[in-house]
Amino acid sequence: MATYILRRTLQAIPILFGVALVSFAIIQLSPGSPIDRFRTPNVRPETLENLVRLYGLDKPIPEQFVSWITAFVQFWRDDAWGYSLVDGRSVRDTIVDRMPATLLLGGTALLVTIVLAVPIGILAAVRQYSWADKAITTFATIGYAIPSFLLGLYIAYVGTVIFRGAFPSFGMISLTGEGRGTPLDVAWHMVLPVTSLAIQQIAGWSRYVRAKMLEVLNQDYVRTAKAKGLSAAKVTYKHALRNALIPIVTLFGLTLPGLLSGAVITESIFSWPGLGLLGLTAVQNRDYPVVLAFVMVGGFGVVLGNLLADVLYGVVDPRIKY
Amino acid sequence: MVSETNAAEIERRRAEEAEAESAEIDRTPVRTYWQLVRQRFMKHRLAVFGVIVLIVLAAYAIVVPFVTGDDWRQTQLFRDDAPPELFNEDGEFTFAILGYNENGQNLFARLGKATQTSLTIGLAAVVIIVVIGIFIGSIAGYLGGWMDNLLMRFVDIMLSLPALFVILMITAFFGQGNVWVIVLAIGLTGWTTAARLVRAEFLSLRDVDYVQAARALGAPPQRIILRHMLPPAMAPIVVAATLGIADSVVVESALSFLGFGIGGESASLGTMLQNAQNYFFSGPLKVVYPGTVLILIVLSASFLGDGLRDALDPRQRVEK
Repeated sequence: MATYILRRTLQAIPILFGVALVSFAIIQLSPGSPIDRFRTPNVRPETLENLVRLYGLDKPIPEQFVSWITAFVQFWRDDAWGYSLVDGRSVRDTIVDRMPATLLLGGTALLVTIVLAVPIGILAAVRQYSWADKAITTFATIGYAIPSFLLGLYIAYVGTVIFRGAFPSFGMISLTGEGRGTPLDVAWHMVLPVTSLAIQQIAGWSRYVRAKMLEVLNQDYVRTAKAKGLSAAKVTYKHALRNALIPIVTLFGLTLPGLLSGAVITESIFSWPGLGLLGLTAVQNRDYPVVLAFVMVGGFGVVLGNLLADVLYGVVDPRIKY
Repeated sequence: MVSETNAAEIERRRAEEAEAESAEIDRTPVRTYWQLVRQRFMKHRLAVFGVIVLIVLAAYAIVVPFVTGDDWRQTQLFRDDAPPELFNEDGEFTFAILGYNENGQNLFARLGKATQTSLTIGLAAVVIIVVIGIFIGSIAGYLGGWMDNLLMRFVDIMLSLPALFVILMITAFFGQGNVWVIVLAIGLTGWTTAARLVRAEFLSLRDVDYVQAARALGAPPQRIILRHMLPPAMAPIVVAATLGIADSVVVESALSFLGFGIGGESASLGTMLQNAQNYFFSGPLKVVYPGTVLILIVLSASFLGDGLRDALDPRQRVEK
């Protein structure tokens, strides 16, 4: 097990290196220069040349890449990920600051998803072809087909127009008022974004749970359990369910990247001050250090999610041997 | 007397047996592959629904902008947020079945233009996705070995990138609002699934007898790939491309919605939705129209993809 984890971790390094290379290449290939933002009629050419030298933009591109990546891996240093071109803050600190909001939103959505999607999927599988199953399948198909930004938009509409603003569709804490910034205030602001994230995930997860549950229910050992006279509830919830839930850890691994790098679209619709919104504004402002750091965090999330899914699978399924 | 009845009895039994035998022979006419495909497809009601909806939407996207001309961006004086109308005060037919938006632009014409833009970008991106996917997948699957390893590690890297964000990056940094940049951004990031599919098909076809026979006869690799291996691998590619249309249209709309896609005065489903955000109270239908078209495109394309998957699979059987 330990050697497996070690091997997988080592395999992740070239992939992350590739992610760094691709994102660096996109920025190098794009027209314009980081110092363009300083180019105004009042700035003397010598100043611009000094800036070019200061940022190391006069060096050959491979050298720029090496100096960026060697600094980047030293994440314990304050200046490892550079400084934002917009507000001059340490990029690493900005990302660490934004992380809790993203984790809170994504984590809550994940929790809601698990609590709802698993029973829904089981219900659909146990009563296959019943009206409940058909209703769930229809909901899942439509929920899966609605693009996330459209769903967010509709949820924001429901919150602001139909519920007449009972739930805020903007930000994380109230701008004024007595309970400003209390946990209750934050929870109140989370209702709409969490709903919009969760509906999408529930649609996907419940389909998955249903399919896995049906697969298990058709297996021989379930028939044996029924044949020896166990109650239907015992067969379903004790024998079948446990095996059906094993592949869920894979879904967990797939959800993790979204937890780390944030849901760009949902955070943007609800102005949620998380990493996704940070990345979006960084792209708009051409804040290259932040953009690169965001892509790297996203890539790290994907790699970590895959690793976690594979390892967890081995933990919960004794049939898997490394 | 007795023998006579026996003879008649035997005769009758023989006739019965012959009849039973002939009934066992399957008299349904031999059906070709494509007839079977059509039969299987027609049985898939949702897929048929998908095709019809897509044809209607495509016709809408082609015909309406053609007939209404510049109406989609022409602002009509005193028509801001006007209700649906068929004729204006001069008695001319206006096609304003959905009314006007806050700028006095004909929503029906605008929606047609937007559908046209989004579908065109989606289709163009899918073409790029399929071409790159076939190219990389067939090289990896046909050659195998270190080349396969290298290409698949590249696919792993592409899959580890936050896709939507990279598309945002490309569109923002390489000329925002440029249709071709958007198409390229979606195409260049979306080919990984197609490549993996083609590679898997090619790996399983590589050692099949008829491919080995072609190789033994001295056929060059490009002939083996194009004439012998690609045609049987086409079915999953077609399915992936159909599903890819939905994905590409969604990504384009999301880009335009976030303000990174089609900009300026041109219309796409995403820009219409972005604009509609500001009129939640005064004109909620402005969110509903483009949103419905978008959902219809996604649903129909995925139904069509499912139907094609079942229909194109030669192992599936059609009951009489």
